[in-house]
Amino acid sequence: MISKELLDRLIREIPSPPENAVRVLEVLRDSESTPSKVEEALRYDPGLTANILRMANSAYFGLPQRIGSIRQAVVVLGWKRVYDLVMVSCMSSVMDRPVEGYDLAKGELWRHSVAVSVTAELLAKELEIRGVDEVFTASLLHDIGKLLLGILIKEHMRDPEFFSKGDSSFDRLEKGLIGIDHAEAGAIVLERWGLPHRVVNAVRYHHNPEDSPKPDSMLDILHLADVTCLILGFTAGKEGLKYEPSSSVAKRLNMSSSILERASSLTLEKMNQLMRV
Amino acid sequence: MRIVVDVADMKASGNGDEIVTHALGSCLGLTVWDPISKVGAMLHAMLPLSKINPDKALENPYMFVDTGVPALFQAFYKLGGKKERAVIKAAGCGAPLGDDRIFKIGERNLIVLKKLLWKNNLLLAAEDTGGTQSRTLYFDLSTGKVVVQSGGERREL
Ligand SMILES: [Fe+2]
Ligand SMILES: [Fe+2]
Repeated sequence: MISKELLDRLIREIPSPPENAVRVLEVLRDSESTPSKVEEALRYDPGLTANILRMANSAYFGLPQRIGSIRQAVVVLGWKRVYDLVMVSCMSSVMDRPVEGYDLAKGELWRHSVAVSVTAELLAKELEIRGVDEVFTASLLHDIGKLLLGILIKEHMRDPEFFSKGDSSFDRLEKGLIGIDHAEAGAIVLERWGLPHRVVNAVRYHHNPEDSPKPDSMLDILHLADVTCLILGFTAGKEGLKYEPSSSVAKRLNMSSSILERASSLTLEKMNQLMRV
Repeated sequence: MRIVVDVADMKASGNGDEIVTHALGSCLGLTVWDPISKVGAMLHAMLPLSKINPDKALENPYMFVDTGVPALFQAFYKLGGKKERAVIKAAGCGAPLGDDRIFKIGERNLIVLKKLLWKNNLLLAAEDTGGTQSRTLYFDLSTGKVVVQSGGERREL
């Protein structure tokens, strides 16, 4: 079992998002902010500014006009979108790393995170679920706990032993071996980073939405989007498809196989649009 | 040369090349090979039926089994492959845990494939399908050998 000291040490080893980005995210989250305050916060980070503009002008948003400034991005895309883009820009370097233990090559965890984010938005649209604005952020960060636990999984989970445990879901195996699963570990990291409670909760229960103290449609969407991407191969690590989709979540969101397949048929394109910028 | 087939993609070749595709979850990986002309092709299709998104199928037939399989055979014939000599192998079509039908895209993929082959009087020479593992597929065009790698284990199909 993992001790509190070891967990603390592992959390410290995860790079935090760049300081400037944290400031920008704070400004974006503040309801009193103005576009000029956002520009002000971004003034000394031309790299971040350029990234945001590049993504804002990507085929993902398919805007008729060209966006030339942060101010314009806030006006045209809205606060929430600019927030998402700052998040994408800042997290890619943290989450692009290879993750030992889960057998994720360089870039694979990031690709999975982006895939789940775009799938979550597609599903929310197909299922006509509103009020889940933060699902993009939650999806982008949902597996960040893997960065924390990778080294432990590598030490404790020998292949033959792992593959002989046929029907146990992977999060249960993690818990049994080291006392914590990557969803819980990720929630702990995000709590320390000061992310909103709803995001932290969605990350914590993304493999077991029925265990959440309160049902939340944002968590439900994240759960379904994650399962969808694992099924489609965007991108499963060593655990393959060893997770159990929640039937009660599928039921309460009115999920059907045709909605699943319809959203799946759009995922790849959306993903490439956002990543090829 | 090593040729990679992406998700919702197909590649056909000859000249002793190796064709590879990664991360087959519920997706179908299908190979066809002609032992005389030594040409072959591999498909990595995501979803069973194109009627779910016909526009997408026009843009990329390889996304769906019902449009991808005919396109695979067309490419195979174009390179000189012959139907009566075609050696066909299937892999992938996995599923997550639990019994919820909604998420069994892999099973639906396999059913559509088998119907298509049946209708065209074609048979599968071998298959490695189902289960919760993610698979990588290697296809050697000089020998026709198809190897499935999953969970640190390699087996010939
Ligand atoms: Fe996860
Ligand atoms: Fe995930």
